[in-house]
Amino acid sequence: MSPGRRERGLVRPYVVTDGRAYPTRNTFDLVTLVMAHPDRPLAGLSPEKRGVMELCLGGALSVAEVAGYLELPVSVTKVLLGDLVDSGHITTRSPIPPAELPETQLLQEVLDGLRARL
Amino acid sequence: MTDHISEAVSWCLAVVALVVLVLLTRQRRITAGVRRRNAALEESLRARDEEVRHLCDIRLPAVADGVNLPTPLPGLKDEKLAGTTFAQSLHAVMEQFTRAVDKAQSRADASAKSALKASMRALQGLAHEQQVSISQMQDRHDNPDVLRDLLEIDHANSQFGRRAQAIAVLCGSWPGRQRLASSLTDVVRGSKSRIRDYQRVQVHSLIDVAVVSRAVEPVVLAVAELLDNAARHSQPNTSVEVSLQPVHNGACIVVDDAGVGMDGLEVQRAATLLSGQRAVDVSRLGDPPQFGFAVVGLLAARYGFSVSVDTRSPYGGVRAVLFLPSALLTHVDAGAPSAAAAPEERSAPPRTLPSRRRAEPQAPGAATAGIPAQARPVEPAAPAPSPTPRPAPAAAPPAVDDEAARSFGVTAGGLPKRRRREATAAPGPRPVTQTEPDTGSHRVRSAEETAQRMGAFARGTRSGRAAHPETPQESAPRPQDAAPHSEEGNRQA
Repeated sequence: MSPGRRERGLVRPYVVTDGRAYPTRNTFDLVTLVMAHPDRPLAGLSPEKRGVMELCLGGALSVAEVAGYLELPVSVTKVLLGDLVDSGHITTRSPIPPAELPETQLLQEVLDGLRARL
Repeated sequence: MTDHISEAVSWCLAVVALVVLVLLTRQRRITAGVRRRNAALEESLRARDEEVRHLCDIRLPAVADGVNLPTPLPGLKDEKLAGTTFAQSLHAVMEQFTRAVDKAQSRADASAKSALKASMRALQGLAHEQQVSISQMQDRHDNPDVLRDLLEIDHANSQFGRRAQAIAVLCGSWPGRQRLASSLTDVVRGSKSRIRDYQRVQVHSLIDVAVVSRAVEPVVLAVAELLDNAARHSQPNTSVEVSLQPVHNGACIVVDDAGVGMDGLEVQRAATLLSGQRAVDVSRLGDPPQFGFAVVGLLAARYGFSVSVDTRSPYGGVRAVLFLPSALLTHVDAGAPSAAAAPEERSAPPRTLPSRRRAEPQAPGAATAGIPAQARPVEPAAPAPSPTPRPAPAAAPPAVDDEAARSFGVTAGGLPKRRRREATAAPGPRPVTQTEPDTGSHRVRSAEETAQRMGAFARGTRSGRAAHPETPQESAPRPQDAAPHSEEGNRQA
């Protein structure tokens, strides 16, 4: 049941999410990193949730990557991830922000000051 | 004299009277015979009239009604006519009529089927097209509100597609979609996708078998019909339990509902339909048409699985059992075997990227005496290999090369480190520990040479730190540099 071998279109997304469209929490972004807890039992999880756990056990994956590997829409993946966070199987981390750039207003002021002096 | 005359006359009279009497009795007997005969003929005529009326009223309609039914046709009304020419003529009429009715019926059936099949094909195509665009929309929009609506449309579309597909199958069409071999769990969940009350269906006991590619769609369709029956004939607050059981000759899908159940007659009718023996008459499916069992029976007969509904479920409803023989089952490579093989191969932390999982089992497979990976599927008896078999490793690498292919720990990012593979032209005793490329000339020096250079450098710095400087001996390795390693040009830098 490796994620790449699944027949797409056989199991429809509403069966995957059991009819739900809203994730239980609204904290997921495309680049939110997902990490699995290796010691949580996999029994009772649906095949897709098992797939998420298998994918994430090796390290952190972004939500977009998880969706890509499971071949599910991102919004559907978010519902699954919300459930898994609720059951304690995974934790999420917001991505490392890029280095903060100075504000454009400040740069503009510096530029203006330099122009005024020279 | 007169006495004589009168005597003679009286004699004559007596004789005449006698003759008349005899004649009268004879006539009377003849008349009676004629009358009897007449009555008998009249009776026979009436019987024939009645027989003809019986033919018109009972026997011919029975033929017309029960062309496909195996019930015996009514015979002659009057058994006395049996064996007569009249009865034979009637029989000939019956046969002619039966043939005509058969012909008309089959022609009507064929034309109805072909018309239905063509239109259902078109509908199926549309449903599929719509499903594709719904899937694309689901991929494109990342908004729960949109997703909710799309899921509803998707659900309705799936049911619509299933109906069209079922009718098309009933009309002799193929189920259509060719799919990859899929696990039994996915097959059942695929069926679940296509019925109205999918949320009531609970699938238990995930077992590790898969259905071969050609049987996926028919089994999905058959299970969907069974699930739909189960869900429709039970209370909305009850659940439909599906369990998957491996058995000796295959696997079973057991569908239990908590509904009203079926009585003996219904079970018998269902068994007839499910056997797939009798040709299904499209025009006699009832109103509203009930084609579920007929479709399941057709598919079962065509693809070689079997379905029975004659047991009661422990919940009081019907238990439907779909038995898949081993010929229709296979194994897809599950994550479990590779996960079990991983720790003994390397103690490094598990992989990060799942795409590597495909290549991963090749390493242990090649390590065990160079068997091609193709030769070790989980179930050797599986007749049909999965449609996309794992590509065999390049010609079963010998154990020497395996040393180079094996991973040695992982990098910080979780990617496996591999030692560089030696070129086959230069196998060797030459150690490959430190190959420092010369950045100037892009040539690779041998280890000895490198060691000499490092030694020279060390000596040089040491002498430099000493009080009186000496010339560094850098020119010492020069002669060795040019000569012996000219063949290394073919090495991949």
